[in-house]
Amino acid sequence: MSMIETPLMRGLERVLDQSAFRHQVIAANLANVDTPGYRTRDVRPFAGEIEQAMAGEEPSFTPAAHEIRGLLERPDGNNVSVERESLLLAQNQLRFTVAVQFLKAEFHRLTSAITGGGSTS
Amino acid sequence: MNLFGMLELSGSALGAERQRAEVVASNMANVQTTRTAAGGPYRRQMVVFQAQRVPRFSLALAGLHPETASAVRVAAVVSDQRPPVMRFEPGHPDANAEGYVAYPQVDPVEEMTDLLGAVRAYELNASAVQATKNMINQSLDLLR
Amino acid sequence: MTNSIPSIRILPADIGAAPRGAAEGGRFIETLQQSMDQAEGAQGDAATQVAQLLNGKGADLHSAMIAVEKADLSFQLMMQVRNKIVQAYQQISNMQF
Repeated sequence: MSMIETPLMRGLERVLDQSAFRHQVIAANLANVDTPGYRTRDVRPFAGEIEQAMAGEEPSFTPAAHEIRGLLERPDGNNVSVERESLLLAQNQLRFTVAVQFLKAEFHRLTSAITGGGSTS
Repeated sequence: MNLFGMLELSGSALGAERQRAEVVASNMANVQTTRTAAGGPYRRQMVVFQAQRVPRFSLALAGLHPETASAVRVAAVVSDQRPPVMRFEPGHPDANAEGYVAYPQVDPVEEMTDLLGAVRAYELNASAVQATKNMINQSLDLLR
Repeated sequence: MTNSIPSIRILPADIGAAPRGAAEGGRFIETLQQSMDQAEGAQGDAATQVAQLLNGKGADLHSAMIAVEKADLSFQLMMQVRNKIVQAYQQISNMQF
């Protein structure tokens, strides 16, 4: 795929994979805000993975979530924080949106480069 | 974005919280019910929420990563087992030999708090649905 | 989703046998070959991902969209390379010597 793939494209794809997965985790936390005993989950920090993806290095994206520490626990064992999850929901969605916009721009740029600005002589 | 699975997951919470609100409404409506078909006063109802592990071959929740996604469901609607509130009302038709009437264990304040919780959780999950829809639309937009 | 790449592999039959500048022609053909292989691969990948998406087998929507876009880009690239080669060949064969 190297003829039409750029490092930026690979990096942005990785951002999309990460934030799509994180959205799932956050939504599961929100769905279980009142479930007794449910523990909040999150993904490991993204740092460094974008650069790796851009450089074309393995590994490819592996979805993984784990329990996080330090949250206030209610008597029924549930530790979902509405404030935390709402904030992350918004932030994560923004990250996804930004990545989509840049990726679209990259696709358009490549299309122009390939077709020489639209002409197919 | 795993289309079907994500919306089902948030949808499960919307359904569960709605059921919880319905139970609150039933409790509030029966706060004064001293006589039921089963005999005795109305027993306060409560919902029990349970995380639903994604069944491996469930089409409804297809596409979700199994170790991560938990939908939620109402595992049971149970009766409050606390003894009824006894009030001294000798003239009441349902009074016992000592003149006490058994009333449901329904505290309007407690019920309203529960209802507010259900409403907030419902709104939260509605936002999650909205966020999912936005991300779906943006994904489709990639080809424009 | 039918793969249309194989039909485009049919070039003017003697294009690889141009007598003058044959070495240059070879390198261009190589590039064309590469772009055709890539376009074929990308189209197959996109078909797989979209099928998985529609079957509810767990493809991410954004991944499927990206795969389709890459298939389109690969195809466009291949067509451009092919057209340029055919054009150059025609120009050369039109030259009077």
